[in-house]
Amino acid sequence: MRTLLEDLTAALGAGAVKGDPLELALYARDASVMEGSAGCVCFPTDAAQVQAVVGVARAHGRSVVPRGSGTGLAGGAVPIGKPGAEPVVVVTTRMNRILSVDAAARTAWVEPGVLNLDLSRAVAHLGLHFAPDPSSQQACSVGGNVANNSGGPHCLAYGVTTAHVLAVEVVLSDGSVARLGGTDPDPTGYDLRGAFVGSEGTMGLATAVLVRLTPLPPAVRTLLADFPSAESAAETVSAVIAAGVVPAALEMMDQRITVAVEDFVHAGFPTDAAAVLLAEIDGLPGGVDAAVATVVELARRHGARQVRVAADEAERALLWKGRKSAFGAVARIAPDYYLHDAVVPRTRLSEVLQRVYEIADANHVGVMNVFHAGDGNLHPLFLFDRRVPGALERVHEAAGEVLRICLDAGGVLSGEHGIGLEKRDYMPLLFSEDDLAAQDALRRAFDPERLFNPDKVLPSGSRCGDIRSLPEGVWV
Amino acid sequence: MRLEVDDDELAACVSCGLCLPHCPTYRVTGEESASPRGRIAAMRAVHAGAEAGPAFTSFMDLCVQCRGCEAACPSGVPFGRLMEGARRTLVAERRYQPWWRRAGYRLLGHHRLLLAASSAAALAQRAGLVPARLGLPRLPVRRPRLDASGTDAWLFTGCVMDAWMRPTHAAALRAMEATGAGVTPVGAGCCGALAEHAGLAEVAGGQAARVVASMTGTAPVVVDSAGCGAVMKDYGRLLGTPGAQAFAGRVMDVSEWLATRPLPTGRRLPLRVAVQDPCHLRHVQRAHAHVRTVLTPYVEEVVELDDDGLCCGAGGAYATVHPDMAARIRALKLEAIAGARPDVVASSNPGCAMHLAAAGVVVRHPVEIIAEALGGPEALGG
Repeated sequence: MRTLLEDLTAALGAGAVKGDPLELALYARDASVMEGSAGCVCFPTDAAQVQAVVGVARAHGRSVVPRGSGTGLAGGAVPIGKPGAEPVVVVTTRMNRILSVDAAARTAWVEPGVLNLDLSRAVAHLGLHFAPDPSSQQACSVGGNVANNSGGPHCLAYGVTTAHVLAVEVVLSDGSVARLGGTDPDPTGYDLRGAFVGSEGTMGLATAVLVRLTPLPPAVRTLLADFPSAESAAETVSAVIAAGVVPAALEMMDQRITVAVEDFVHAGFPTDAAAVLLAEIDGLPGGVDAAVATVVELARRHGARQVRVAADEAERALLWKGRKSAFGAVARIAPDYYLHDAVVPRTRLSEVLQRVYEIADANHVGVMNVFHAGDGNLHPLFLFDRRVPGALERVHEAAGEVLRICLDAGGVLSGEHGIGLEKRDYMPLLFSEDDLAAQDALRRAFDPERLFNPDKVLPSGSRCGDIRSLPEGVWV
Repeated sequence: MRLEVDDDELAACVSCGLCLPHCPTYRVTGEESASPRGRIAAMRAVHAGAEAGPAFTSFMDLCVQCRGCEAACPSGVPFGRLMEGARRTLVAERRYQPWWRRAGYRLLGHHRLLLAASSAAALAQRAGLVPARLGLPRLPVRRPRLDASGTDAWLFTGCVMDAWMRPTHAAALRAMEATGAGVTPVGAGCCGALAEHAGLAEVAGGQAARVVASMTGTAPVVVDSAGCGAVMKDYGRLLGTPGAQAFAGRVMDVSEWLATRPLPTGRRLPLRVAVQDPCHLRHVQRAHAHVRTVLTPYVEEVVELDDDGLCCGAGGAYATVHPDMAARIRALKLEAIAGARPDVVASSNPGCAMHLAAAGVVVRHPVEIIAEALGGPEALGG
């Protein structure tokens, strides 16, 4: 019998399959801090090749781990498998064509490897864009957005990825191709597309996505308000939403992250403020002016020292560059970071934030906060140096505590990064055994053999008699 | 294998992946091993004891060293230094850079020999003895003389550029003198950039020391090749002497220098000019804005390429060493150029200019466009 590498090479050609140990090591992790081990890495260029890979993987008893740009933060693309049965990592970077654009219908068929920002740029001349805008949008792929149902600053007003995906063409574990969803406003039957979006590569591999394109807003204003306390910023967020204004984005940064970002972008972020709010209002010019006035007024009433409205597109771009570079800029302070993702009700933001600081202090871990305040999506960043013994464990401890207080406050496990490997074993904190069994049944309807990304999202206990242990080096 | 890199700098990458779309070889291949993040992961693995086999050498060798990743990196990872350190280690271990590549880099430091070899090649070209597949431009048999006009600034003329593209230096002189300055052109052979990028530290150090010694005093050292200027601004680190540090502080790209002067009046040429930013001007010197400042008064329109300054694939000696990959990267640049519909592309680096011209693009150095707008006896166009 031929080896896995030989069979994949026969199916895809030599340049499309990698098996060198050093090269495989480069696919052991994504942008998270977890690590696995790949058995083989391949680069199909279309659905037929993906089908072939699925057939080979099944024949060799290997699972399939889909991977886009590898910018995920929950370990969704980290390959996990027993020694000798490591997964086949299927990379979508060579499926990166925009297949068709329908300007009148405002839709486009794209392959999964198309980069999020490339798509928006490619349709900008039509006055359109792809609305989900994760902070990694310059690098992350549309396929990855679909897998994680990704959010982003502007999803407060526009909705997360699932609101922008009309249909997906997927290769299933039996090697067949299915089209889920369609262009009808209300497709008949169950919303299988809705089940697939956000399934984190556990139900199949999307080989084409029909995305909804959104008109570029006629007017955009971005403003930056700085506050003497995190509480006053958080209260402003609640007040803005309560006043009936839904900004396109409403982001908060604490003082520590503001200093780190300012050091990188030099955008004039006030480094002496306890917290800053970045708000963007878009729409028709008249409505935008009125909403900007409301936000400015509410910010002042809640103690904002200064409210700065970006004068032009360059200033606006600079402010956003700062926000979107926040996570990377942290590495100027510590060599590693662990980026948390949890959601709490907006009204509980300031008290939960206070608890986050206390937990970090108690565990002697540095923490910074930058988050999508408008929808209560917290992103505490824990700083550490993995070369220091015990540092990773302390971060682990703090992260678990933060998750528990978020759940106690009525929140959920993840706002947008997904569950992946990172939060898999926290799922029982939020879901009962029955809930998890129901979710597993749904997954099995798509993938009865757990071929796709088997060790992600659902804890092993949710399937009877299936105890899997994590390989060394993996922590969740 | 312990790499000659700083441990903290190697640890600085957080694997966020924001560099990926700005890396030309990743854009073309979609492979981690051809990305900055993947190369750093490979360096870490080898640094920690993994075997540095042929795969590791090929991952390091495929990098263009455009340093587009550095400008994109929010963590400030000094990728260029890491890559140079990794290559130095590979060279020291004798696994990297075959003798003919080393000999080539050394030749660049012997300017008279280089000029003679270039003239011989030019004659051979005329006689039809040089195969077209080598991709050489049409080499000049004669070169214009460059005369000193004063001591306000030096103009560094380099190696291959002086042999093949001396009219560009003549145009630079013309533009600089038109601002009222007296200029002394100096040829001291290669600046050492190519050897430094290849990991041949000793060769690079010798060439750099010769260049530093050739332009004494305090006058600005003006450079019309972006790749040379970038490494010359880094001589302080390369040579590690206070003299080299002071020299590096005097180095300016020609557009950067012109932008500090009152720009002379000239004609406005009826040209739509697309600016192609050489990587080592944009990502390393970060002095690319000046090109627009000094070109704008002399042309009808300056337009931008919409590729975020992605590398064109020339990469100094890269297009010679990796012609296939260089051509695949160039194809992306050609798309961006086609989208901008320019009459002419302005490039401040001779390597980029030759690489693009070989694909049929009309390329000129910004100073050539300026010199034409200023008029003059030389008729310095194209």
